[in-house]
Amino acid sequence: MEPTVTADKPFCLIADLHVAFHGRPVLKAIDLSLDSGGITVLLGPSGSGKTTLLRALNRLNEDFPGHLRSGRIQLRLAGELQEIHQPEISVTALRRQVGMVFQTPNVLPTSIQRNLLLPLKLVTDLDREEREARIEEVLREVHLWSEVKERLKESATILSGGQQQRLCLARTLALKPHYLLLDEPTASLDFKTSRAIEDLLLELQENYRIIAVSHSLRQARKIAGRIIVMKDGEIVHQLDREGIACPETLPQLLEELF
Amino acid sequence: MNRLVTLLIRGWSWFSVLLFCSALASLLWFLLRHGVPTLGLELFFGDAPVGKAILGQVRVWDALWPACVGTLLLVLLAALMALPLGIAAGIYLACFAAPRFRQIMSLSVELLAGTPSIIMGLFGFALILFLRKTFFPAANTSLLLAAGCLALLILPYLIFTTRAALDSLPAGLKMIGPGLGLSHLETVFHILLPAAGRGIIGGVILALGRAAEDTAVIMLTGVIANAGLPHGLLGKFEALPFRIYFLAAEYQSQAQLDSAYGTALVLLCLTGLLYCSAFLLHKTLEWRWNRQ
Ligand SMILES: Nc1ncnc2c1ncn2[C@@H]1O[C@H](COP(=O)(O)OP(=O)(O)O)[C@@H](O)[C@H]1O
Ligand SMILES: [Mg+2]
Repeated sequence: MEPTVTADKPFCLIADLHVAFHGRPVLKAIDLSLDSGGITVLLGPSGSGKTTLLRALNRLNEDFPGHLRSGRIQLRLAGELQEIHQPEISVTALRRQVGMVFQTPNVLPTSIQRNLLLPLKLVTDLDREEREARIEEVLREVHLWSEVKERLKESATILSGGQQQRLCLARTLALKPHYLLLDEPTASLDFKTSRAIEDLLLELQENYRIIAVSHSLRQARKIAGRIIVMKDGEIVHQLDREGIACPETLPQLLEELF
Repeated sequence: MNRLVTLLIRGWSWFSVLLFCSALASLLWFLLRHGVPTLGLELFFGDAPVGKAILGQVRVWDALWPACVGTLLLVLLAALMALPLGIAAGIYLACFAAPRFRQIMSLSVELLAGTPSIIMGLFGFALILFLRKTFFPAANTSLLLAAGCLALLILPYLIFTTRAALDSLPAGLKMIGPGLGLSHLETVFHILLPAAGRGIIGGVILALGRAAEDTAVIMLTGVIANAGLPHGLLGKFEALPFRIYFLAAEYQSQAQLDSAYGTALVLLCLTGLLYCSAFLLHKTLEWRWNRQ
């Protein structure tokens, strides 16, 4: 099944979410409803809980020691809104549908091809040809194919930062997720490469429900259909397209925060 | 001021490196100078015919061959017992154990690592005494016992280095598996272990070296000077480090002392051989992991 974004129905509902690590609250009473309408961008000072909120959506916070959560999160899985913490939901299956790309690219210290093949082999039952087709498909999707098609067997660690970031994205896309969680996808990249990734995300929003953390106002403006502003573990503002388009609101808002 | 400090640190670093290199070089030089002239078939087989000696058809007296075989068997047996246990325990501590338990276990492992090897030997010896008085009156010190005690000696190194190799993997690498929806088991075996391979093999090499050179343990658990080739797991045996010790302590002629140097050289080569095979094993595994 091709992931498609259906209009106007919420695909993410968060109700009274609290997250704490070692007893220290990190997210406090988060309420959020996301429906289609472009990329959701999380903005806010560092330490405001953006990464933690992203990780709450694929239950990755549970892999860290001292984690405590209360509250509900519903995502649209297999067409229906489902509470992601209910026991029938398997964490690994959830994480395959809610793919995440981390702030610093984390390629496996092995070949480019193997970076993509390993998860495919472990998670899917595609045969050899289908796997190779899938690899080409996702590498084309992230515009990396022409750069690496000659050297798929070479080490992924010699790729540039932007290429590594796109490889990580491709690795996630290869598992056909419906959601994409992107944690500061351009944090370690130069201006030009950032631009390229932003354009890429704008293309990808057709097929994936994207929630991205950003550190740049310019970037948020460019890619966001909705901006969520966070501070001290709380959502302090939400802007829709009109709010983003208005030249004054956003800078004013951020001035208050930082 | 700052420049002076930098200069001092650099000077000290250079001096240390130089000191280390010259110590190593003089050690090697000393060994080579005394040892190389003694190298030859006679050192290994005495006056026994070589072919028959290798096959164990004639007894070799006053030569290295039985000790070479003894040490090799000893190390292999000890590795066979300790490697699976030690590496598995290290993986368990790094990837599966509850934090509390992990702390306690790590402490015990460090304690075990600090145990002098003579204590391990005594432990083996006491075990035999106990067995003799209780279930097996015929129990005696033997190759198996010595290998078991050696295994106990190297176990903590293996556990510790395996755990450390896994712990020190970059945080980003550890998140790859969970982020892609792999199970914890898949993450450990397909991502973390291959990535930690180099560190783990380092521990294996250290442990093998330790097992090959230790004298205190085997002295109390079954090595004797003139056992000949080991007769099975429950027989006595000879070993290179013990032979060096024995020759150096009780030599009666300069030639005998020189043959101790030759023996030391052989032990060094044997350990080198073990290292190489561990390294090759690692390379094969790495290749298999990288092969698509
Ligand atoms: N695994 C964790 N263990 C303990 N504290 C954490 C953990 N993850 C995040 N925190 C804390 O939660 C707060 C928010 O972190 P984070 O979500 O990474 O913020 P942001 O991504 O907005 O910079 C920080 O104070 C951080 O120290
Ligand atoms: Mg962050």
